[in-house]
Amino acid sequence: MDAATDSAAGAEEVPPLPVRMLNEYTYCPRLGYLMWVQGEFMDSADTVDGRFQHRRVDQEKKRRISRRAPVDDGPVTIHARSVSLASDRLGLVAKIDLVEGECNRVTPVDYKRGKRPHIPKGAWEPEMVQLCAQGLILRDNGFECGEGVLYFAASRERVPVVFDGALIARTLELVDLMRKAAREGVVPPPLVDSPKCPRCALVSICLPDEVTFLQSQAHEPRPLFPSRDDALPFYVQHQGARVRKDGDVLKIMERDELLAEGRLREISQLVLFGGVQVSTGVIQELCKRGIPMTYLSGGGWFYGVTHGMSHKNVELRRHQYRTATDASRSLVLARRFVQAKIANCRTLLRRNASTVPEDVLDDLKGDMRRAGEAPTMETLLGVEGNSAQRYFSWFSSMLANGMGFAFEHRNRRPPKDPVNALLSLAYAMLAREWTTTLLAVGFDPYLGFYHQPRYGRPALALDLMEEFRPLIGDSAVITAINNEEIRRRDFIETLGAVALTPVGRSRFIEVYERRMSQEITHPVFGYTISYRRVLEVQARLLGRHLAGEIPEYPSFTTR
Amino acid sequence: MRHLYVVTYDISSPKRWRRVFRTMRGFGDHLQLSVFLCDLPLMERVQMQALLHEIIHHEEDKVMIVDLGPTEGRTIQSIETIGIPVEITKRGPQVV
Ligand code: SF4
Repeated sequence: MDAATDSAAGAEEVPPLPVRMLNEYTYCPRLGYLMWVQGEFMDSADTVDGRFQHRRVDQEKKRRISRRAPVDDGPVTIHARSVSLASDRLGLVAKIDLVEGECNRVTPVDYKRGKRPHIPKGAWEPEMVQLCAQGLILRDNGFECGEGVLYFAASRERVPVVFDGALIARTLELVDLMRKAAREGVVPPPLVDSPKCPRCALVSICLPDEVTFLQSQAHEPRPLFPSRDDALPFYVQHQGARVRKDGDVLKIMERDELLAEGRLREISQLVLFGGVQVSTGVIQELCKRGIPMTYLSGGGWFYGVTHGMSHKNVELRRHQYRTATDASRSLVLARRFVQAKIANCRTLLRRNASTVPEDVLDDLKGDMRRAGEAPTMETLLGVEGNSAQRYFSWFSSMLANGMGFAFEHRNRRPPKDPVNALLSLAYAMLAREWTTTLLAVGFDPYLGFYHQPRYGRPALALDLMEEFRPLIGDSAVITAINNEEIRRRDFIETLGAVALTPVGRSRFIEVYERRMSQEITHPVFGYTISYRRVLEVQARLLGRHLAGEIPEYPSFTTR
Repeated sequence: MRHLYVVTYDISSPKRWRRVFRTMRGFGDHLQLSVFLCDLPLMERVQMQALLHEIIHHEEDKVMIVDLGPTEGRTIQSIETIGIPVEITKRGPQVV
């Protein structure tokens, strides 16, 4: 164990570098960093297929490789699959698909999916570097190794790669660069307008064009990731229902009757209201697949989430904690959240209430300015409170007449009228949405910059949802009422508290989800994107801001 | 991009048939005996292929995957049924 000897006292020890990661780093330094240091990973058709091809290699009989070939038994043929080896000297580890050779002379063979690329060198640099690193590891383990082979599965071609001086120097250089980046904790910048990005599995995590655009305003971002999601939420609010698993399908049962079923692959999260039972098998499966399960009370109070192991991106959480304990940086962020929220409230009023006088809109503009200049958190809270009162006093003017809904002011816990009941549910849904988004991205949702941590309150989720309250929450409420999707009879009143009936709740969830799926033109980046995706992009951009990559958190405001 | 696929299979052992059936339930709608209709992004198509590849016996069973083209289009009209109508679940958030 002498791996730590070259690192300075107190400096963090960099763990052995897998040569697979070296391949990614050679393709794009940022990609290698995101995958290795930040533990980011996302499956794509390529990675799934790649694993499938490698599994076929692994399944063929594994044999151990002997370190020293016996001298007097004549030449020994080596043919070993899936060989794991390390070099302490280089700080590298590798799993080599196949090692062939005789006696002490060996050749590493790396299996690649797809066909041989028709380029002068016969292979791309990342593959050559990866193979060369495998060769260097073999050498450090006492073998002679002068070349390797890339085997292209689709065209069944073997491409030899000679480990010449230039390739070895390049490989060692890249090993050094990558370990240095990891040690210093500096994420390499994204490639600029590169044709590699559209093919990169991590493009929606990296946000290359967005980050570059926010740094320099150059190049309008390309829409590089899907504007819509393949998996969507699954809500169970039927009281007394049980959730069971049958293969890859979730079944919602009431006693022996099947109420509904859903394929796990198509579920982004399982949302449970009140008294719904879930089997341990379901919980395990959801954790394994990284599908969070969230709980809301029958009245729509968001009170919990179950999810698998936390995200590996410790670096991101470190940045988050560091900023949250820095009062002045927290204040800058808090101002932006509040400012953007007021801006979006103002836009909603301007668009939906023709009766709102100009000076109310002007006052809201004044609130925005005051929020942006607030010298302390207390001042900011005051500005936000005043502005919310201003906004809600005109809220009812956005509701169509004749629907029988009145709204005086915001009240909650419990809401005392139908509109407040809807708003409470909408905000609970949004807090839930943000909590799971932040968890998926790797944040700690409980530590915020504006909202103070109180036990169990997802403060960061509440921070980030501020600007989306009007955009998603209020807007869904207004739509539900004005389109008559929710009516007076969808509410029940008990002891002064008003709640939705199960039918009403289910209809409101549909309106809310429609809003989340709505595709809009992104106000900064100009491409089409759904609100659901916007949340994820915002969360990732916050991470980029906290890491110092982009100067400001770009809050989301519509015009 | 999502494509629609018709997947049909002939499996000679009942045990493997059940495994294929259960696996396919995770990918699409069971249309009729040994026939599924799936609406899948490319990644899931690869996953499905990999899983089926592992389950079936390569000399005794066969699976056929027919690509009907992009889901967002008019492909669904290329399915015509006579008799009991084929039911296809609509994708979207579910509320039970
Ligand atoms: S998206 Fe582009 S810049 Fe980002 S990691 Fe991938 S290749 Fe590198």
